[in-house]
Amino acid sequence: MATMQYDKLLTKVRNLSPEERDVLDSPYTIPNELYAALRSVLHDVGGQPDTPQPYFLKEEEDWEMNAYLTSECLAWRGAWNSEMRRRRENDLGATEYFGLPYYARWITGAAKALVDEKLITVDELSAKIDEIRERLEAKKK
Amino acid sequence: MTAKRKFNIGDRVSVVDKTTLFHHRTQKFTRGQSGVVTEYRPEWVIPEDEAFDPAGNGRKEPFYIVRFKQDDLWPDYTGHHIDTLETEFSESWLEPATSKGKR
Repeated sequence: MATMQYDKLLTKVRNLSPEERDVLDSPYTIPNELYAALRSVLHDVGGQPDTPQPYFLKEEEDWEMNAYLTSECLAWRGAWNSEMRRRRENDLGATEYFGLPYYARWITGAAKALVDEKLITVDELSAKIDEIRERLEAKKK
Repeated sequence: MTAKRKFNIGDRVSVVDKTTLFHHRTQKFTRGQSGVVTEYRPEWVIPEDEAFDPAGNGRKEPFYIVRFKQDDLWPDYTGHHIDTLETEFSESWLEPATSKGKR
């Protein structure tokens, strides 16, 4: 089967299968099995059902390497280590963990580490983001 | 100083199935499974401690690579019977093998 046809078919089949979900809405009580499942660390995805994914090589982008270097510098200055970084990625919660690109998880965790370590306040961080955004948008014009 | 290792390469070991809270790196599909030690990994701070301590003062343990049969890990495995999977554990997650595998 040609690749295009297969990809199309796969997308179609994937969308056909209904997604089952247990709705979690802060229940008054939960069974022990559910408690054990909820304690599962977010990054421990091995064995979860999925469909075949296309394999491709991705070039590293500047922002990704900047995120990496920022994380390394934070480690060098003793703010965290790579295991704390992984823990902070998990602590982002499922929505952000699976929603963000890989290095966006790093840098979001790093931003939270900076706030936790009292190296920067949240409003200083927001102001800096706005300042940089303005600068980049001015450059585009 | 390096502590004496509890396991040797070639030993059959089982992965402890204990209650965990918060950060750890022992994949749940390995819990209670048995495999063979294939490699020594350097002694290092266990992830359960390292994840909360930037100073690196957590408990240190030797690490091991353990090889499992895919057939043992997945009840519906459709690959070859000789297929294996290797992953890493700190020493306290391992005990001498109790059986051929939990399934």
